[in-house]
Amino acid sequence: MLAAYFAHVVPGAAVSGVRRVGGGASKEQFIFTLTESGRGDAYLLRMDPRLSITETDRQREYDLLTAMQGVVPVPETAWIDPRGEHFPQPAAIMRVVRGVTKPSQSKVKVSGLGTWLGPDFRDRLKDPFMDHLVAIHAYDWRARPVAGFDVPEADPKQAARWIFNYWRELMEIDRGVQRPIESLTQQWLADNLPDTTELVLVHGDYRTGNYLFDEDTCEITALLDWELARIGDFHEDLAWVLMRLFGTFDETGLFRASDLFERDEFIAAYEARSGRTVNRTVLHFYEVLSSWKCYIICAANGLAAARSQHNHQDVLLTFLAGAAPVFADDLVQLLSRGPER
Amino acid sequence: MSPTIDERLASLIRSLSQVVLPHLPADASLAQEQVHLALGHLQILRAQIDPAAAFEAEEAADAARHGNALATLGGPGAALLADAVAAAQDLGARERVRTIHAAIDRFIRDSWAADDAGLRSAVSAAVLGHERDRVQKDRQWCAPFGFDSMAG
Repeated sequence: MLAAYFAHVVPGAAVSGVRRVGGGASKEQFIFTLTESGRGDAYLLRMDPRLSITETDRQREYDLLTAMQGVVPVPETAWIDPRGEHFPQPAAIMRVVRGVTKPSQSKVKVSGLGTWLGPDFRDRLKDPFMDHLVAIHAYDWRARPVAGFDVPEADPKQAARWIFNYWRELMEIDRGVQRPIESLTQQWLADNLPDTTELVLVHGDYRTGNYLFDEDTCEITALLDWELARIGDFHEDLAWVLMRLFGTFDETGLFRASDLFERDEFIAAYEARSGRTVNRTVLHFYEVLSSWKCYIICAANGLAAARSQHNHQDVLLTFLAGAAPVFADDLVQLLSRGPER
Repeated sequence: MSPTIDERLASLIRSLSQVVLPHLPADASLAQEQVHLALGHLQILRAQIDPAAAFEAEEAADAARHGNALATLGGPGAALLADAVAAAQDLGARERVRTIHAAIDRFIRDSWAADDAGLRSAVSAAVLGHERDRVQKDRQWCAPFGFDSMAG
């Protein structure tokens, strides 16, 4: 398949060393070497499964990665087959980037959730992690628009309404066993849509586990998994970083978001670097939305893809469903306590 | 005498961990990952297979109790909810939970559509109160998956 594709797009090039790679939960990924004029380079093929835990558009992600070259570290885009004309499903090809998603000595974590970096890496990764998040939010999408990224500016609530409606629709389509807290959360979110005062580029899945770093220098070499990116509210990314399941608790019970920052430290650092003020009520809305979204991904979308047997990661998707009670508990706690003051 | 389910699961775990896994190529990362996940599933199944029926029966009883409690709050969906809980009484545990939770979902939607702040507040408090207890049972049940650092 790859050989036939490259015979079409790079005649004379040879494909070798094709192998599947794991680590993700949503796309089929293959590493291979492409040799042309005696030089071999490593590439990654990222292809949609027939049904996925998150259904997104390869062309849109590819265009964004292309736009982000030089803004923040991202994989270099190479080729795209947006409609699956050459591959069984839509696919994109990128250059392989050096680096790891977790320390070599760290325990294996499913889909990178709750990755433990440890004190040394933690201290050295904090700054680049925050710098890149601020840089993403500073991207001038009006001057350099990205195809496929619609702008929710019809009214101040449109950004929140779009993301709410998107996930509500996915919940309706893939609904498994309903749960009262999920039903209640839908009503709460609809009642509490916040105004967005500044529209920014939102990564959508920004957390430890979704970037590569060099273990020697602690340089972040690539930010990954941009498929849920959109134009929206910066609080959405902050709330995602603060998710309990993406962080760790140390031996004293102290929570660290993405195993990097204490909660207040993260918010203060973001405010200091970005010049923005974090609105605790809006942050609370997006924390509820983030937990609800994760609940839907684990308990509805992932299980629906596994039941259909149209995904190469059925065994992972059914395992991930074991995280649903954590998100349900987050929803109970968040809706009970309200925003911090 | 037939082999027990526990003996059969234990043999699957040994086969995958001692025979299959060591012989996978070092660069077959997806295959290795999936064998590890399959082993994880099997170990959890082994631990849960005996208490599973009791867990599901309790979940169904909790759902019925919650449905009945919500129905006492009144509102446009109360009668339908009470009927659904009663009709689900003879179903198997999993189907009973599914049916009652679907009825609760409809009740919550109907309560919000009624635009009655008092009813919304009462429904919200009742759901949070029920789920605060119920979710702890689910966290304990799913603790072996290893996602929940505060459970177990």
